[in-house]
Amino acid sequence: MTTTPSRPTTSAPASVPSQDGSGSTTRAAGRVGPLVGSAAAEARAHLVEVLDARQQGRSLPGAAYTDADLHELDLALLWQRQWIFVGTVAEVPEPGDYVTVELGTASVLVLRDDDEEVRAFRNVCRHRGARLVEEPKGSVGNIVCGYHRWTYATDGRLIHAPQLAPVEDGGVDPACLSLRTVHLREVAGLLFVCLAPEPPDDLDTLSRTVAPYLAPHALGRTKVAAQVDLVEAGNWKLTMENNRECYHCEGHADLVCTFFPTWGLADHEVPPRLRAAHDRYLLAEEGLHLACEERGMPYAPVEDLVEPPLGFRIQREALDGHGESFSRDGSRLVQRLLGELDEARLGRLTLHAQPNLWCHAMADHVVTFAVLPLGVDRTLVRTTWLVHEDAVEGVDYDVDSLTEVWRHTNEEDAAFVGLTQAGVADPAYEPGPYSVAERQVDDFVSWYVARMREEVSR
Amino acid sequence: MTVNPLSWADPDPVAPALRLVPDLPLPPDPLGADVLPPEASLDQEVLVRRVVPLTHDVVQVVLEPTRPGGVAFTPGQYLTLGVEVDGRHVERCYTISSPPTRPHLLSLTVKRVPDGEVSTYLHDRVRPGDRLQVTGPLGGFSVAEHPSRRYLLLSAGSGVTPTLATLRTMADLAELEATGSALDVVVVHSARTPDDLVARAEVEALAATHPGLRVHWVCETDGAPDRSGPWSGPRGRLTADLLRAFAPDVADREVFTCGPPGYMAAARLLLAEVGADPARCHEESFVLGTAGAPAAAAAAAAAAAQGAAEGAAPAASSRADAAGTEGEVEGHLLAAPAPSAPAPVATSVTFARSGCEVACPAGTTVLAAAEQAGVRLPSSCAEGMCGTCKSTLLSGRVEMKHAGGIRPREIAQDKFLPCCSTPDGDIVVDA
Repeated sequence: MTTTPSRPTTSAPASVPSQDGSGSTTRAAGRVGPLVGSAAAEARAHLVEVLDARQQGRSLPGAAYTDADLHELDLALLWQRQWIFVGTVAEVPEPGDYVTVELGTASVLVLRDDDEEVRAFRNVCRHRGARLVEEPKGSVGNIVCGYHRWTYATDGRLIHAPQLAPVEDGGVDPACLSLRTVHLREVAGLLFVCLAPEPPDDLDTLSRTVAPYLAPHALGRTKVAAQVDLVEAGNWKLTMENNRECYHCEGHADLVCTFFPTWGLADHEVPPRLRAAHDRYLLAEEGLHLACEERGMPYAPVEDLVEPPLGFRIQREALDGHGESFSRDGSRLVQRLLGELDEARLGRLTLHAQPNLWCHAMADHVVTFAVLPLGVDRTLVRTTWLVHEDAVEGVDYDVDSLTEVWRHTNEEDAAFVGLTQAGVADPAYEPGPYSVAERQVDDFVSWYVARMREEVSR
Repeated sequence: MTVNPLSWADPDPVAPALRLVPDLPLPPDPLGADVLPPEASLDQEVLVRRVVPLTHDVVQVVLEPTRPGGVAFTPGQYLTLGVEVDGRHVERCYTISSPPTRPHLLSLTVKRVPDGEVSTYLHDRVRPGDRLQVTGPLGGFSVAEHPSRRYLLLSAGSGVTPTLATLRTMADLAELEATGSALDVVVVHSARTPDDLVARAEVEALAATHPGLRVHWVCETDGAPDRSGPWSGPRGRLTADLLRAFAPDVADREVFTCGPPGYMAAARLLLAEVGADPARCHEESFVLGTAGAPAAAAAAAAAAAQGAAEGAAPAASSRADAAGTEGEVEGHLLAAPAPSAPAPVATSVTFARSGCEVACPAGTTVLAAAEQAGVRLPSSCAEGMCGTCKSTLLSGRVEMKHAGGIRPREIAQDKFLPCCSTPDGDIVVDA
């Protein structure tokens, strides 16, 4: 397998029954773009109803996952207002390299400019609005609109607009026609964009906290070994919720070879059948902490999941088996270790950030997951495996082996999400209670409710 | 073409459904099958009818059989010519350059080799009415031995002779027409200068009037000012890039290569590089410096030694000419242009896909040269910014002054921007 640059091709089941007879799904059919006028007011009122109806400790009402108008509000109030993870520096290694990311109807062009800085622009020509760059990834010299060849330098300046009247003749000053910029921040190799004119300042907190954890993995000196786009037939929140618990991990035959099944459980919550595994976990944790302390590497959990817009959690945790990587026996998958690491047995550094990122950094590779909504019931999960830039495919690593566990796990998760989407769209669905192992799911949903409540009132 | 009627009337019920799709056309019959008579002995005395100058050092010797009934052979075959030179009987092998479709006369195309006994005799001394002895036909280096719909004919120097016989035969048999089961033939011939292109007008006229034939000349340097003058086509030796441009589908072609040994060795490597099927590559080499039959034997042995790549029995034969010329001939064809070659005033830009060649004066961009040649390249800024004209350079080098419209990685992949590039020597562009 190699990097797959294509747009997602898997299509999810198209029809979702409308929720509670409200008919809002039907009403939204065929419309693209944000709601306006009385429809917008109606949708906002519906959102408040749904948020009010949510009970602590239980999942969201069905409409939150199935109503197309509420999904538009997710995009407008959340995805287009706060920091969104879009990829890593390794995906744009050279000047002119770019990726495009769609956030609802907004497209963002992320590219490395001629000064080696990563920048982000609105992917819209300043002439007549044509989409500038169509491919999900690639490389450009300057940025050229395919319609009338308006050409922008990689810093966004308009440098060529054929036959545009000069200023002296009453024309428009090209300096006023630079590409519209999008806020972009790099956090230890992770790239975040924000479409809001004034982005929330919580990225600084995240950056200060997680950069020391990620630094030893040297994402700036990695390359993309593989990338897989998977479309899940579910609402983006179900994708995120599914990722926040290991209550279902018995459904992940490959993952549980190295993933301790008691993840998320306090000591007294561990059921007897998992006791042996938990003891192994505790032992492995002790070894890991020792290794981290010897190297001055932070490992303790830091968690701020509910309050900030960019809720996050980071921790370095042990892996089962050899404890090195996501292989069947836990041994490393890439012979060349990341950065200057001298020890392969460093478990997994796990970062989760809301609304759309989780990643695992091992000593030998990093795997990142970007979640991007494609529709109310369709969600793209883009998984990217990063290895040391000097690692040689076929010598230091094998792409199939490297990607096996998470390819399988993602497909299994996609099935779980699909099942859940079908169920929450069923008139019989009513929000059920979370188990003790699903505390972080509850946190995620509480975060969502708080975020939306605040944004809808603005 | 034959189609097994059973495959239509009575499909095998267990065979895959694809079997119901009509079979692809079978390979065509050998060229001239059922039209040309089978090969027959040429051994006889022949009469010299004409000696026609073709180039400054090549003549065509037209021979008339003395036996009635015409002659029969396949294009690409050769004969052994015996002459009496100063009271000695001397033999040389020459490809028959006339086609078997014109059985009443035989033509040989003979290059003058300095100090070559036979070629000098044929150029300077033979007169109409003289009698010579021929034996043959000999050799299996013939498209008739390897039926195909698509051929690539590679040659250098005097190695053009089997190509001439082959093209003449194909044209006479109406196998190069646009309709029906026409052949698709690409000819690539290397010469030292355009003055050395044998039967150039005839071959170009065939190409112009036969859709199935494309001809590419590659010359090392310009012609003499009082002859062909400057050469504006591809220059230098044959390269893999040129070969790819001229015959991108080389893997699907039956390839015939004929020329001096150095050329043959180079061509073999190039063909391997561009992905030609070794089982479909056929060679005939000139062996110079030895005479007559012994040379043929030596060549066959040499060909057998190197013939592993060919798989089948070596199809090589040989033709010999006078001693002491191998280096010179080979050098003409394959070495870098002679140091004494005049510095060109304009470089040549060849657009491989459109087949246009144009002289590019100093300081003229490739885009301007393309416009002059009628080759329409998309372009917008004309200043190296927008990258609209981005093209691939198949051979040669350019001086490019771009303004961000192209990346180093693309330049490393032989991309360039014609709007802001001037040729540095002759170039071939994929356009």
